[in-house]
Amino acid sequence: MTPPPPATAMAEMIRPRKTPKDSKINLDILSVTKGTSLSYIALVGLAALGVTQALLTLAYQTYEGLGIAGYQAPVFWGVYIITFVFWIGIGHAGTLISAILYLFRAKWRNAINRGAETMTIFAVITAAQFPLIHIGRIWKFYFLIPYPNQRGLWVNFKSPLIWDLFAISTYLTISLVFIYVGLIPDIAIARDRSTGIKKLVYTVLCGGWQGTSRQWKAHNRTILHLAGLSTPLVLSVHSVVSWDFAMSVLPGWHATIFAPYFVAGAIFGGFAMVLTCLIPVRRIFGLEAYITDYHFENMSRFILLTSWIVGYAYGMEYFIAWYSGVEFESTSFYLRAFGPYWMSTWMMITFNFIFPQLLWFKKLRTHVTFLFVLAFFINLGMWFERYVIIITSTSRDYLPSVWGLYIPSAAELSILAGSFCFFALFFLLFLKVFPIIAITEVKELVIHEKMHGEAR
Amino acid sequence: MPELDRRHFLKLVGASAGAAAAAGCSDPVEKLVPYVIQPEEITPGISVDYASTCRECAAGCGLQVTTREGRPIKLEGNPNHPINRGALCARGQAAIMRSYHPDRYEGAMVRKGGVLERASWEEALSVLTARLAGGTGASLRVLGRDPGPTLGSLIDGFIGALGGDPATQHLVYEPFSQEAIRKAAGAVFGVETLPIFDLSGADLILDFGSEFIDTGPSPVEHMRQLAEAQDLQKHPEGGARLVYVGPRLTLTGSNADQWIPARPGSEGMLALALAKRVFDRALKSGREIPGDARAVARALSGVDPQAVAREADVDPATLDALAEELMAARAPLVLPPGVAATSQRATASAAAVLLLDALLGAVGRGVHLPERETAAVPASFEQVRRLVQDMQAGRVDVLLIHGTNPVYSLPAELGFAEALESVALVVSFAPLADETSERAGLVLPDHTDLESWGDLAPRAGVRSLVQPTLRPLKDTQALGDTLLAAGRALGDRVSGALPSGSFRSVLERAWSDTNFRTALATGGVFGDTRGGRARPITAGVANLEFREPQLEGTGDFVLVTYPHSFLGDGRSATLSWAQEIPDPVTKAAWQSWLEVSQATARKLGVDFGDVVSVDTGFGSADVPVYPRGGIRDDTIALAIGQGHTVGYYASLAGDGEPGVARGASAISLLPARTDESGGGAWLVTRASLRPTGGFRRIPLSQWTDNQRGRNLAPQVSLASLAAGDDGGHGDDDGHHGGNSVASAHFEHTEAGVVAPFDRENDARSDSPYRWGMTIDNDRCTGCSACVVACSIENNVPTVGEEGIIRHREMTWIRLERYNGDGDLRGGEERRPYPDREELGVTDVRIVPMLCQQCGSAPCESVCPVIATYHTPDGLNAMIYNRCVGTRYCANNCVYKVRRFNYFDYSQTRLPGLLGLMMNPDVTVREQGVMEKCTFCVQRIQSARQVAKDEGRDIADGEVRTACQQSCPTQAITFGNTRDPKSRVVTRVDADQNRSYTSLPTLNARPSITYLTQVKRGAGEGERG
Repeated sequence: MTPPPPATAMAEMIRPRKTPKDSKINLDILSVTKGTSLSYIALVGLAALGVTQALLTLAYQTYEGLGIAGYQAPVFWGVYIITFVFWIGIGHAGTLISAILYLFRAKWRNAINRGAETMTIFAVITAAQFPLIHIGRIWKFYFLIPYPNQRGLWVNFKSPLIWDLFAISTYLTISLVFIYVGLIPDIAIARDRSTGIKKLVYTVLCGGWQGTSRQWKAHNRTILHLAGLSTPLVLSVHSVVSWDFAMSVLPGWHATIFAPYFVAGAIFGGFAMVLTCLIPVRRIFGLEAYITDYHFENMSRFILLTSWIVGYAYGMEYFIAWYSGVEFESTSFYLRAFGPYWMSTWMMITFNFIFPQLLWFKKLRTHVTFLFVLAFFINLGMWFERYVIIITSTSRDYLPSVWGLYIPSAAELSILAGSFCFFALFFLLFLKVFPIIAITEVKELVIHEKMHGEAR
Repeated sequence: MPELDRRHFLKLVGASAGAAAAAGCSDPVEKLVPYVIQPEEITPGISVDYASTCRECAAGCGLQVTTREGRPIKLEGNPNHPINRGALCARGQAAIMRSYHPDRYEGAMVRKGGVLERASWEEALSVLTARLAGGTGASLRVLGRDPGPTLGSLIDGFIGALGGDPATQHLVYEPFSQEAIRKAAGAVFGVETLPIFDLSGADLILDFGSEFIDTGPSPVEHMRQLAEAQDLQKHPEGGARLVYVGPRLTLTGSNADQWIPARPGSEGMLALALAKRVFDRALKSGREIPGDARAVARALSGVDPQAVAREADVDPATLDALAEELMAARAPLVLPPGVAATSQRATASAAAVLLLDALLGAVGRGVHLPERETAAVPASFEQVRRLVQDMQAGRVDVLLIHGTNPVYSLPAELGFAEALESVALVVSFAPLADETSERAGLVLPDHTDLESWGDLAPRAGVRSLVQPTLRPLKDTQALGDTLLAAGRALGDRVSGALPSGSFRSVLERAWSDTNFRTALATGGVFGDTRGGRARPITAGVANLEFREPQLEGTGDFVLVTYPHSFLGDGRSATLSWAQEIPDPVTKAAWQSWLEVSQATARKLGVDFGDVVSVDTGFGSADVPVYPRGGIRDDTIALAIGQGHTVGYYASLAGDGEPGVARGASAISLLPARTDESGGGAWLVTRASLRPTGGFRRIPLSQWTDNQRGRNLAPQVSLASLAAGDDGGHGDDDGHHGGNSVASAHFEHTEAGVVAPFDRENDARSDSPYRWGMTIDNDRCTGCSACVVACSIENNVPTVGEEGIIRHREMTWIRLERYNGDGDLRGGEERRPYPDREELGVTDVRIVPMLCQQCGSAPCESVCPVIATYHTPDGLNAMIYNRCVGTRYCANNCVYKVRRFNYFDYSQTRLPGLLGLMMNPDVTVREQGVMEKCTFCVQRIQSARQVAKDEGRDIADGEVRTACQQSCPTQAITFGNTRDPKSRVVTRVDADQNRSYTSLPTLNARPSITYLTQVKRGAGEGERG
């Protein structure tokens, strides 16, 4: 974790260009939820269409069998698991920002934490569907859940897939609670500014928030405790996901470095996704006053740091493959770089390690268009990182007689596209229902700044 | 309107909604109906075995048909039968599906308005009898397979009763007739019968391309004999060395210890050159020549071994060394060329080989010359040609065709298909549609062989019965009964000359010299199968003209057409298993491929799957190329067997393209040529190649033969074995990545070597059993009988061409094929790259790979739902109903033996009545679940029940897995590794130096121990 920047420098950087009034903040941020432009409807429609086609593909796959996907011995995991790991990874930045940075009192997070948390929730929900899409008999998915039954059947607690189940459901639960608790004061503001059925919904959701100091005290305490609870989850979830691979015997999977490597990768990819989501939102809704260059620069620093961790992991994997002297390992890694999937590997290295080095330049760290493009490549690179890990390792394992290739099928790509549409759809809908920037926390910042600004 | 008050209305609504809901959510009710009157011998749930005879090729193996509730579910070898002794080849086992095949005719068919239409038997029969009544007996012809003695004499009697001459009008037709060898035996020994070769006593076997392992005259028998001759227990000095001569590395060549890649067609001259050396030596040393020495001298007079070697492109030193070895050997045996080497000089070639055998003293020891042949002698190609001429000339009025498919198997140049047009009535008795029956005017479908009565006498001393084990599933009639019915319809003149009663009673009368019931129970009457006596070389040998065959055409390459390992002459192409099992040499399935050398491929600029046009001047075909090191640069090879246009599996009909040929027919490229004695010749033409620019993926189940030094298929030389080395696998720790099989891995206990079988944790400590297996790679020939046996026993589906292309084969056991120890090259390609073959080098390692039932199984711990778990007796069991299909187990299985049901194969891959073939003891798996080898747990369970009833433990050998049962060489031993006296343990004990486990460094503790393959170098065996 990066240490928080010194307080003075930070205070300087967090200052919005003008200090708006409370009511203006309310209006500015809530304006995002007001009205629906034609392009917004078009976007939602597009996303809904994407989800629909994926659902149809899934129905066809359920009827016909997983043969319509690209699986072929010896590669039994493919795009679905890759995409699962990808979205789980995305879901990390949110909690990191809302919990860990909260505990570190990195106040700059306030402007972006709602966006990041939202992204987390929808990313995890998107991810959670993939294990089900992936399994051969989706209609028997409940076999994976340890529930008491008369047949005395139980799940296998030794299997990392069961750990996954617990890790993800815990993470999703905590994240949901976290974002909801954080939303309560903002919902109350929305309640006060809406009418009719909307008002009713907001009233119910904000649970009678009055803004009393007692309530604020309880609220802050809850957030603090939730942050404490979430912090280990940031590390645990992706560690557990990485054990899906690390606990196996495959060369290229069976490595102790996997847990930290995956966590760093997840934060890396998660921040890239935050950029991908927030840059257009800021531009479209004119939130430049709240999400500033300073935020982008800080996120860029995170990306730069984690790109080095990821880069180190890449290098270390190769070093160990060579240093261990195990032919299975060295062959696997040699063919990872120069075998049939060399392009994916080099894409991964280029996008995840080489491109982010440009962030050493301050100008680029605050150049929003550049960041958007870079974030796109990092997202791509992170997807390919999982592709490389899963596909190259399985396709070149112990018995050369069964070596084969995996090529994603149209069905898998359809569902992959559907997952992005699903994510986008819910993110877009969220924008219109709840404030994408934590209003009360931004106000806190403003007050904070006023007090300290005068003192300066 | 009747009273319908509110209460009543609600009642009705509720009841109907409930009924609708109940009807909507439950499957239709299917009732299990028990036998009303239970047949005496059938107990539901218990299988009944019947003895019968296999009709898939001419070898005549005995069958043991396993039936359940009146349905054959599996074919195994009849242990009483002297030819196959309990084993059965892949083709023979696959033949079970003929009875349930979607290609079967529903009943009699009559051509009306150019289309075959279903007709009643009365109507169909009247078409035949009307034509027969109108014509003369002389215009009738019968063309068919060997009908067996009883049906044969009935057919002859039928022709005779109509006033015809059975000797000329009844043609037994076998595409691969072995005419040349029969005639050669006549020339050399004066007795024109097919010699019978016995490999079991030989210590040096020289094969001039007989392909005795897969497509020879009697593969199961010869494989067993080879294993006997190479048994390291019986022959501690190493046993028989096998030397193979041929232009390409075949399955027999892969099993050989030495491969001499001679020019195709030079086999005869090479044999003659060797004979010359042996003869000269014998003269010099004054040894007696067995026969007419002067005739031999005359026959060998012009032979210059040096020149022959040069002409054959063989190093003269190699030939000399081989001659020396033959002379030094105690019991050498030379086998004559097979189909692929049947040139226009085939008789002389075969004669040269038989002469060499005689000079080496093999006659009477390994070569037996029966006095007479009991099997019907196939018509020569010349006779078939005359038939076609008769047909063209309109001299044939009625042609009856049974059990054969001449439209496919005769070269197009002969014009058989066109000549059929000139025949007034073509009657086919084929139970399954084929190219010939589809052109017939009348189809009177015979029962399938599993539904029929019949007999067969494949050779002297073997009289084998065919008995029905299934009630005819379609409206068919036995050929014999059809003829008898036709005879009756033709009036007393004909029926009076024919036997009375049904064909079954005719058969019983024919067997009246023996106890029919006992014969049925044992499968027949079996005596001395070898018969004959040693005969001297006769003067006839001097009349033979030995010279290199001339090839037709002007192309750059010699076209070698060889029988496909599993499709034979094409008749098995309709069996999905024969198509699905990858060719043991190329690992290709479901398609045709053209083998070219790598140099040729480079020259043409083509690679795997690039389509080339093969043109012989007599025909051309577009075939994807398969470049390999194991073929001569001047040779290209295409398997016979594909290219059918009729048949669910044989053509692309099952893939939705009816009428489109699957692959290319090699026969269509050949001119109709014969050898000196009138037998069909297959090595007759040159061909030119032209890349077409097209691409057709060859379905390959294995993309590389490079084992990368991983020691997955080790090999040991006789020398190091004698020196006590453990197969060269102890000394390679360093450069093979620590994956060596250290002998320390085996725990030496008082009971002998029981580990790695028996670790405490591998089975529950109180269990009397820990099931294990020993597989002797030295005995494994790669014949793939085990693959079919396993698949049929365990209801494993075939996946078809598309499935194999996508590496989705479902077979629970596969034969991995590696060449040499391998190196670290390769793996980068997106195309197949079997690149380790070298011309003249045979170092093929075949490893049967199946679930290793690991003691510490990687698959078990990762399954989230415990669908795979460890049984108390040490098996990795699968609970199909519990499996959700995460496929984690398959990823984590280091042996990659787990198979995933990508589709609902039980619905899509079992057309017609094939579902009836399923073994009711084994669950048919649903889409989306994993499956794998279970060590035939259903067989273990039934043995356990019997043992429990009798209050004892399961005895050693009581449970035999399907793969073990079918193995012609008994390479597989299954048993309880907790019992130190069991065969599975003692076999490892006896061969400790050869034992190894696969991937031992991963410590999965597999329960299968392999015994290393042995390379028998020249001269090594003599030290013992």
